[in-house]
Amino acid sequence: MWAQFLIGVLSLGFFYTLTALGFSLIFGVTHAFNLAHGELIVLSGYLAYGLMKTYGWAFWMTLPLCMLVLTGVLAAMHQVLKKVDEPFALNSLVMTFGMALIAQNVMLFFFSADYRLIPATDAAVFSPFGGVSVTPTHLWTFGLSSAATAAVFLVLHRTFLGKALRATIQEREAARLAGIHVDRMKGVAFAIGGMLIGLAGPLFGRLAYLHPAGGLEATLIAIVITIFAGVGHIRSLLLGACILAALESGAALVLGTNWRELVSALILIMLLLWKPHGLLVGKRSAPEL
Amino acid sequence: MNHLAPSGPMAYGGLDSAPRAVRGRGPKEKGRRGTMPFARLFLRFVFTWALVAGLAHGGYAAAPVRLGAINPLTGKLANHGQEILSGIEVAVDEINEGGGLAGRPVQLVSRDDQSQPETAVNQAQDLIYREKVTALTGGYVDSLVGPISQLALKARIPYVASASLQKDLTLEGKNPFFFRISHLDGVTEPLCRFLPEAMPGKKAAILHAATPGATEFSQVLFQCLRRAGVELPLVEKFRPGTPDFAPFLLKMRSLHADVLISAGFFPDHLILVRQIREQNMPLTAYVGPWGIAYPEFIQQMGPAAENLLGMSAWHPDFPYPGTEESSRRFSETFRAKYGRDPTSTVMHGYTAAKVLLEAMRTVIQQGAPLDGPHIADALRAMDATLPLGRVQFDAKGDPRHYRQVVVQIQNGRLVPVYPADRAQGTWIPMSGPTN
Repeated sequence: MWAQFLIGVLSLGFFYTLTALGFSLIFGVTHAFNLAHGELIVLSGYLAYGLMKTYGWAFWMTLPLCMLVLTGVLAAMHQVLKKVDEPFALNSLVMTFGMALIAQNVMLFFFSADYRLIPATDAAVFSPFGGVSVTPTHLWTFGLSSAATAAVFLVLHRTFLGKALRATIQEREAARLAGIHVDRMKGVAFAIGGMLIGLAGPLFGRLAYLHPAGGLEATLIAIVITIFAGVGHIRSLLLGACILAALESGAALVLGTNWRELVSALILIMLLLWKPHGLLVGKRSAPEL
Repeated sequence: MNHLAPSGPMAYGGLDSAPRAVRGRGPKEKGRRGTMPFARLFLRFVFTWALVAGLAHGGYAAAPVRLGAINPLTGKLANHGQEILSGIEVAVDEINEGGGLAGRPVQLVSRDDQSQPETAVNQAQDLIYREKVTALTGGYVDSLVGPISQLALKARIPYVASASLQKDLTLEGKNPFFFRISHLDGVTEPLCRFLPEAMPGKKAAILHAATPGATEFSQVLFQCLRRAGVELPLVEKFRPGTPDFAPFLLKMRSLHADVLISAGFFPDHLILVRQIREQNMPLTAYVGPWGIAYPEFIQQMGPAAENLLGMSAWHPDFPYPGTEESSRRFSETFRAKYGRDPTSTVMHGYTAAKVLLEAMRTVIQQGAPLDGPHIADALRAMDATLPLGRVQFDAKGDPRHYRQVVVQIQNGRLVPVYPADRAQGTWIPMSGPTN
């Protein structure tokens, strides 16, 4: 039972990570609190669903196109947000809330209010240990989330572009004085965020369901995980997501299913009060990526 | 009577507005007498034209009856709300095509509550106080229906809810203007008989959404199943939209519960059933009172939906006995208008609007004022047989004869399996890991 519980916790944690990765990166670099994040994930899911239903594409085949399209959507979003005046954080929040409502209604128009599922057609079960089942959906979750987290980590730590992005996150004005084109870094963050959202969408449609109003859940997950792990802390995101998943699932197992949201809400409030920079962030003044 | 719909509004619009225009300009005309002869001539012409046009077309001689409908057309419950609205539209069309309510056309004023109770209240206020509707209908889930029923009581206008279960809403008959065509007993009673009969000696778990109707359903079912000797080691609630049920399923495994009664909604079943199938849960039965018995659910889940049990009040393939012909006509009309098969939810919307409109017709034919108290009296006296079944309200506004049937998805089709007099097949246990 406990081994199966662990598989479930890890799967949920990796799913949370992929859902939050794009949000965290965009927020860290641009300070745009993207409330349309969940709607964009759902949009990517709908795109994958349409490709699978209409053209019979396999699940993995939809991923590159979803990443490409969402990169374009996020680039357009960046162009709109560039016109937002100060205070940027507050105005971007209002602006993206409006975008979320527009996205919901556009999806309602094109995809109707029906619930959609991305089918798990390859749903064979592996039992590597006695009585413990690992499904292909588990494997997709582990694989996609690990790959995305590793790729973002490598870009940030092994490339010059990554250094510039980290510098922008740590101290924007100092980065500008050092010759980093901060506005361009924002565009890069939106582009990478778009790819990550594009990757998360099909998985979201496979693990949950697609509905025009279903993006709120994903946005909430992204906000909670980002605050839990610390804003802009990509490395901590996976660990934080797994810890939160363990706490939620543990509460559901021991106390009851209705306690899982209460636990995450309590953790969020306590973090905002006692560790506003994130549970996994030390006392260093500048965020360490 | 097809000419009535297009010509009607023009006709009574003309008759209504022309005299007001003449009366409204009376004092001005006194001051300008002799200076605007063409204006007076023009008004006379318009008035005469409208009168002649109205009479010539045989249009409605009276103002339309305004019927308000509030449903979740966007948000999480949008698909259910849109289905209910389409049923209401069919009922209104049917009345208008038949000449209206004693010659008065019915004008449907629809509002979207966005699946939010506070929006439902705002929209109900708008319909009652600004749009001046005569009555209200529609609504899905008690959290949206309940606040509207209180506003209806305050404004003394009748509200016939299409989908409501919570007993407290009609308790002690404290709201004489609230009626509903569904009732919790109509869902729990068949299940309370079916489960002990079909699955003796099984351990059952109940998982219900944290909504008023689902919570009450769970409590009632728990008590009646306990009385029937069913062992219930696990009862839990969850917030609709929960993404992961793995811990609950683990507990079910450890407690060896092999029947799951899941009082969630359509999207919750999508997640829960998929997780059950992926984890090869050895279940004998999965029962979902709401959200399972829909073609869309079967389509989305595919083979994973096989042998799931649900509840249905009506279906084109198994209408209420004695209503086969009216059900067939309704289904044909609906398919022609919307291009798809009607569902049980559609029928709930249709029935709510239909009984309300028929009650209004009765009031008009009796020559009584078309107001809340008279319509409510007509609803209490109503005894009609519609495709959903016999509709008669008790003193509290609850339906006397509302009963759902237990259905099972077999080979991609919904098959009624209980009660025996409605059954078209026998129920099949979920065959566990290999299914």
